[in-house]
Amino acid sequence: MSSNKFWKLLSALGAVFALPWLFLIVIPFLKMSNAQPVPYSEEDGVEGIAAYPDKTLQRHGASDYGRQIYAAEGCAYCHTQVVRPTYAGPDMWRPGWGGREEDGLARETQPGDYATEKVAMLGYQRIGQDLSNVGHRITSRELMHQHLVDPKGLDPNSGMPAYKHLYKKSSIGSGYVPTGKAEALVDYLMSLKKDQKIPGAIVSGS
Amino acid sequence: MSERAAIDRSARFPVLFFFTSAAAWLLVATLLGFFSSLKLSVPGLWDNCQFLGYGRLFPAHMNALVYGWAMQAGLGVVLWLMARLSRNKIEHPVAIIVAGALWNAGVTLSVITVWFGFGNSMPLLDFPAWVWPVLAISYALIVVWIVPMFRQRGESLIYVSEMFVLGAVVWFPWIFITANLLINKGSAPVMAAGTNAWFITNLSYFWMAPIALAIAYYIVPKISGRAVFSYPLAQVSFWLLAGLAGWTGFARYMGGPFPAWMSAVSSTASIFILLAVLVTVVNILMTLKGATKIWEFSPSLRFTVFGMLMLAAYALLSAVSSTYYFGKNLQFSHFVVGLDTLAFYGFFSMTVFGAIYFIVPRITGSEWPSGKRIRTHFWFSAYGIITLVVCMLVGGIAQGGSLAQWDQAFSTSFVTSSAYVAGRCIAWALISFSNLMFLYQLALMFIGKGRKSSGPTLIHAEPGKVESAKAAAGIN
Repeated sequence: MSSNKFWKLLSALGAVFALPWLFLIVIPFLKMSNAQPVPYSEEDGVEGIAAYPDKTLQRHGASDYGRQIYAAEGCAYCHTQVVRPTYAGPDMWRPGWGGREEDGLARETQPGDYATEKVAMLGYQRIGQDLSNVGHRITSRELMHQHLVDPKGLDPNSGMPAYKHLYKKSSIGSGYVPTGKAEALVDYLMSLKKDQKIPGAIVSGS
Repeated sequence: MSERAAIDRSARFPVLFFFTSAAAWLLVATLLGFFSSLKLSVPGLWDNCQFLGYGRLFPAHMNALVYGWAMQAGLGVVLWLMARLSRNKIEHPVAIIVAGALWNAGVTLSVITVWFGFGNSMPLLDFPAWVWPVLAISYALIVVWIVPMFRQRGESLIYVSEMFVLGAVVWFPWIFITANLLINKGSAPVMAAGTNAWFITNLSYFWMAPIALAIAYYIVPKISGRAVFSYPLAQVSFWLLAGLAGWTGFARYMGGPFPAWMSAVSSTASIFILLAVLVTVVNILMTLKGATKIWEFSPSLRFTVFGMLMLAAYALLSAVSSTYYFGKNLQFSHFVVGLDTLAFYGFFSMTVFGAIYFIVPRITGSEWPSGKRIRTHFWFSAYGIITLVVCMLVGGIAQGGSLAQWDQAFSTSFVTSSAYVAGRCIAWALISFSNLMFLYQLALMFIGKGRKSSGPTLIHAEPGKVESAKAAAGIN
């Protein structure tokens, strides 16, 4: 076939795909890369934090290690970290999923909420609970460890497997001593709080 | 030796290499599929073993299924189809086999790393950052021999199968490299996840679907002895698919942390793609109109037609689930697994089986040993995949519906859907068994133990009774 015709067909194949590639992936990616924090104004009434997203507020240890353990164990295959607005799903109705309801801060998740993570663990399926705000729901490290060692002990109907390989057997206490991995994972889970106030947002009851 | 036989002979070793290693990976993948579903069904099982957790078994299963089986089987088909359609011999079989071995090394790494806890929870892209270049480079080393074949073809009409093949070959590396770069080098955490979803649907529509359609547009006219019902329709559906598929993907995160237009655009694209797919599937079925009896006898045709029906089902289900009305409950439910498996196994694999049953006798010069085993392969696969998709669809509706009742305990949704997960185990057991049959037969062909006969192996005829079967089917 003539070289001309070949390149014509090839560029047509390229062009039809270049369009969505550019507009759906590359441009949104560039726009969302290195998004700068938005400072709070006085009207927001937020004290102690300067801007959204606040990178110190969501800290979970010095590194990304906890998230890496979360990822390596495949947690995101069963747990999402997406709270959808009510038009797209019933997430906001579930107590605690959207964040601190008593403070009027419960909301759907926003891109800035993931700013401190290398990759957002949005998740594949929701066989287990959504974990966007699990740091507000489970506030004790003890209980979080218990969740990982013996989920059925806390809820007999739970479908979660135990992650005993992250713990060492011991004759004292509950019988399981967390390894560094387990501690890092718990650090990460406790840090999951995706309800920081958005600058300029109108909060119910305020 | 005729020109066609010479082409087939030149394709023999590289194509067989891809088919047999793909079939071996498929068996691994189906077994992993079975054990991951079992673990999901009985969460307490193997509590102390880190290698048998669902979060590791399931991604290992997906990687083996897609990179081990689907990509390799697809490459084998692409290689043979391109050689046949462009009337070129495969000039460098050894180079292709070496590149194929490198690809297999890449697949092994991708499965093992995820299994041993180095994964990153991004479905189908969860291997460590140093694995994907191995796959990308070996892919390039394979297709670098395919594109020139198309270039050197004569000036005649371009077959629609060739366009689908060329499209798949060009689009796959593009989406693969984009997605890996964004996830590993990017600094937009949310877009990494979004690109991951985009990659999965694009893989279905830009690799699985084009290859399945290339096969159907080749095999159906060939076996039925008729011209494609409408050539313009085939071309229109090709360009529709090409133009729309890249926009899909974000509908998986409806209401997610993205600008709302992104999922809206993806939903719209999924719905319009349904049109393209229906046009092309109807086009293929119309080609067969009045000669449908052949698919009772011809294994290739039966697998291919079943695959086409599954493709229509896939397009329909992904269109339906990308509307808010259904997506609300189906998003994140078991349905997602059902939908992805419908793509990877349902339409893609079934169509590729059709192609393999067609190609291997031609390149080895011998016929499949047993029609009965082909029949077993077909029915166990067909029942398996239908069971899986129906279980995951109904289970997804049950699970999503239960989740929507926010005043009930969360674990209710797990209990409600657990029976359907058990169904998923059974489905994988059926599929594993069927693929054991397939691998066994393929291995026999590989070592030259095929049946020496001039008549093809048909599903419903013992060797020797071929003539009567042919007469019944109205062939010749």
